[in-house]
Amino acid sequence: MHRDLELARVGRRYGIRGPWVLRGVDLTVTPGSLIRVEGANGTGKSTLLRLVAGIETPTEGRVTGRPRTAYVPERFPAALPFTPSGYLTRLGAVHGLSRRSAAARAATWLERFGAAAYADTPMAQLSKGTSQKIAVAQALLADPELLVLDEAWTGLDAEARAELERAVAERTAAGGAVVFVDHDPRRLAGVPDAVHQLVGGTLERRTAPAPSPAGALTVVTARGPASGRLPADAARTAVSAEEPAPGTYRLMVPASHSDVVLRALLAAQPPWHVVSVTPSEPSDVPPDRKDRP
Amino acid sequence: MTALLRYQTALLLRSQRWLPPVILYAAFLGVGVQSGQPVLDSLGYTAAALLPVAAWLVRICVTGEPAAARACVTAARGPARSHLAALLTALAAAALLGTVATLIVTVISHHATNDHRLPVSPVRAGTAGLLATLACALLGSAVGALTNRPLLRSPGRAVPTMLLATLLAVVVGGSPAHAAVSGLVSGSESGRIPVSPLPLAAAALLTAAAFTTACALNGRRSS
Repeated sequence: MHRDLELARVGRRYGIRGPWVLRGVDLTVTPGSLIRVEGANGTGKSTLLRLVAGIETPTEGRVTGRPRTAYVPERFPAALPFTPSGYLTRLGAVHGLSRRSAAARAATWLERFGAAAYADTPMAQLSKGTSQKIAVAQALLADPELLVLDEAWTGLDAEARAELERAVAERTAAGGAVVFVDHDPRRLAGVPDAVHQLVGGTLERRTAPAPSPAGALTVVTARGPASGRLPADAARTAVSAEEPAPGTYRLMVPASHSDVVLRALLAAQPPWHVVSVTPSEPSDVPPDRKDRP
Repeated sequence: MTALLRYQTALLLRSQRWLPPVILYAAFLGVGVQSGQPVLDSLGYTAAALLPVAAWLVRICVTGEPAAARACVTAARGPARSHLAALLTALAAAALLGTVATLIVTVISHHATNDHRLPVSPVRAGTAGLLATLACALLGSAVGALTNRPLLRSPGRAVPTMLLATLLAVVVGGSPAHAAVSGLVSGSESGRIPVSPLPLAAAALLTAAAFTTACALNGRRSS
């Protein structure tokens, strides 16, 4: 994703005289950003996401800069006459992959979401949760530049939910944008670059960070080269960083982003040494969570 | 686009929803076309009967996919292209079905006029029949594209409108399908084989316009 996706004064209504579901919505999705959309039931969250994903065209206003997009619906039907691996291979090809790499990635993502055992089960026989895993895998298959998640976590088991959070972290770290809606306020808490709220059909950027409950954190202790400054990717992702000894940092990272931070540390030039990685209770968070280096 | 067409074709074939229209078409031909009947007359039946079948196949292709699965594909490829893939898949299926039926009918029919006096060249008759059949496949797809999602969404309105429109497309003078079919039927009387690409070209133009309209509207109307 090389440029921004821009929604300018976008409005949407169904039918010529229908009421406006959305009106005057402005939204810029920059590469690498993670955007959360909030709003009460029926305020048009799903409609907004469908416009962002390009599934629907706005009634008024413009959408420019469409990147390679993937979408995960809230509920994915099992009524498709394929097996998961057959479906994912075909969808990978639709997303622009070669058949061979689509098949390989389908297997990888089924494995990551713990659905490899169902790769050759007809989709009509899958449980609701397993179907949802297929929908998620379909979207992640081709490394989309924009990933749109409409309550994608609904119906997933705990491990798959955490895996999806990690996949979101990987996407944004790789420069992709992610726009999501989720009813759980702890979902990726503290991580989104922007939170937008739908009120009365228009989108308002929430300026004051709401006291969102802290998500699970991971403590990463790492030692850098003598003159080491924390790699930018790691510093940006960490909730807080302290330097108990010269050159040694203790980073508080959202659990979903621990892999991204470790990758940044180990891939830095010269590489950092990771001393320890431990899960942390939310109570360990320092009072000022924005205390960044 | 190739990947989309493959996906839509697999969806159509594996869903087995193509069975009812194909069986109905076969039954209709089985009743209306007997071996040993005049070839041009039978080819006229074969072409005309394909028109509603083509419209039905379009309905199957554009409504068969569950809405959420359709949304995933649409996000990847855009509303217009994903809809076009469904329409083209249905058109290809109708054209294939019509071609097979035309070949069979050409082979089993009596190669003469209605009064069995004048001989009719099977190759020319088959060519004329194929042109008419493809014109009907195109026009039927056009009717299907304009009477289903995204233009008419509720089945209660879409199905009767589609059936009425397919009937009109065959019987109303000036329709390319009517021109093609009546050319065959009158040729069976007179012995003049109507090998004219004009109805086919007109049907292709109408279908292109209908497909463009349907694809442009997909994504604008609620799905």
